Amino acid sequence: MRDVAIIGCGMTKFGRSQGDLMDLLAEASLRAIDHAGADESDFDSVYVGNMMAGELVHQTAIASSLVDRINLVPAAAERVENGPASGASAVKNGFLAVASGAADLVLVAGGEKMTEADTDVITDLVSTMTHPTVEYVHGVTLPAMAAMLTRLYMERYGLSERHLAMIAVKNHANGMKNPYAHIQRLCTVEGAMSSGVIADPIRLYYACPISDGAAAVVLCSMEKAKEFTDKPVRIVGFGHATDVQTLQEREDPAVLKSVQIASQQAFRMAKLEPKDIDVVETHDAFEILEIVQSEDAGFFEKGKGHLAVEKGVTALDGELPINPSGGLKARGHPVGATGVAQIVELVWQLRGEAGERQVKDPKRAFACNFGGFGNNTVIHILERAW
Amino acid sequence: MEQKFTGFKCKSCGRVMYPKHDRCLSCKGREFEEVGLGKEAKLVTYTKLYAIPEGIEMPPLILGIVEFSGGVRAMGQLTTDDPKTGMKLRPVWGKLRKMKDREIFGFKFEPVNKGLKGKSVNEVGG
Ligand SMILES: [Zn+2]
Repeated sequence: MRDVAIIGCGMTKFGRSQGDLMDLLAEASLRAIDHAGADESDFDSVYVGNMMAGELVHQTAIASSLVDRINLVPAAAERVENGPASGASAVKNGFLAVASGAADLVLVAGGEKMTEADTDVITDLVSTMTHPTVEYVHGVTLPAMAAMLTRLYMERYGLSERHLAMIAVKNHANGMKNPYAHIQRLCTVEGAMSSGVIADPIRLYYACPISDGAAAVVLCSMEKAKEFTDKPVRIVGFGHATDVQTLQEREDPAVLKSVQIASQQAFRMAKLEPKDIDVVETHDAFEILEIVQSEDAGFFEKGKGHLAVEKGVTALDGELPINPSGGLKARGHPVGATGVAQIVELVWQLRGEAGERQVKDPKRAFACNFGGFGNNTVIHILERAW
Repeated sequence: MEQKFTGFKCKSCGRVMYPKHDRCLSCKGREFEEVGLGKEAKLVTYTKLYAIPEGIEMPPLILGIVEFSGGVRAMGQLTTDDPKTGMKLRPVWGKLRKMKDREIFGFKFEPVNKGLKGKSVNEVGG
């Protein structure tokens, strides 16, 4: 396999946008192409991460539409759908295309337009990821699953509601420093702990918002990267693993085995260990997931992840900053865009282009994107290549 | 009338699963027989869901994961509004929700000591 470099990236502001899905994807893609200095270049392939365009904006085959909008014709183009990990799956596909030698220059975009639909409609569509006969028809939603996982953690490991609130406070504070974040407002532990209950013990502030947005990256072989940039970022490892669909049938419902396996794969491929990572983006659709993912990825001992936020380890200036972007909690969660946006944030961090939220001199970064509720996980490890 | 909550036992290796898979999670066997999972299960975790889906009459919807004595677990609605981890529940057939005007039926879980006056809910297994 060839070494693969990310040579440029870009994204739209996340939140409630005036533009439609194609506007968002086109804007993010052109920003990434400009950032890469690849405006004059011919692209071989385009991968578009998106979960619900057909259901939410009544448009299908969106990758064909994107290459038409931004004139990448006749590049190969396809949409990649893997639930809320559609973005990371698209990045993975782009990586494999370049690594295999099948493509030299690849655009990966991810986007979702969600805010025009009612919250009930979104919650229902997202709930259709659950098992159709033994979860969905019973009324199981993603917040319900996250709540049941949270309760297991509280009773088994001594997690308290306060820890969830502290993660929300951290991620809101990081989001305040991110001009692309959906939520740019500080919150307090007390404020978070007095927000409404969605699924006991989960309150509104322990869950991410519904957002519009798109993000994009440009990939090429490491060899070719020199033609474009002095600061290529190498994708040194990826992992992708699944688990049984229902939460109840997992070996241990408090363990995200797909995160464990995918992380181990990525670390093995990168010949690195968790201690080598300087900055992390997790899939905190619910704040409990930042804790569980950080443990099952190997950064903290099982059952001790919540102590990291308490001690400031995961703060911007801590030993292992997690979600400097604000995470899904504050940057927002346009589902198909999220996995790409995580990579965009980490590329900016590695290149020292993250502005006020810049982590001090990171060399290696780790991203975890979730394509279900713990039953499909895509991991990427990135490294400065200069 | 008592309805039996059933799982699926692999005819090759004997592993019992719920829900049904087309291949056994242990040995990839493809033949199964339906077996009862037992009359009682223990509550593993639960939530009171206030943001309820369509076709549920009133919040909160109480959902939980229960574990039968053989170790097989199931997720479902609980009929009690005072769930406690570890409490004993039994499967009961009932209406789950309405979906597009269609009524969906299935198993829910009710406390074993329901209706026994004076009994405390603290009488639950660990
Ligand atoms: Zn078997």
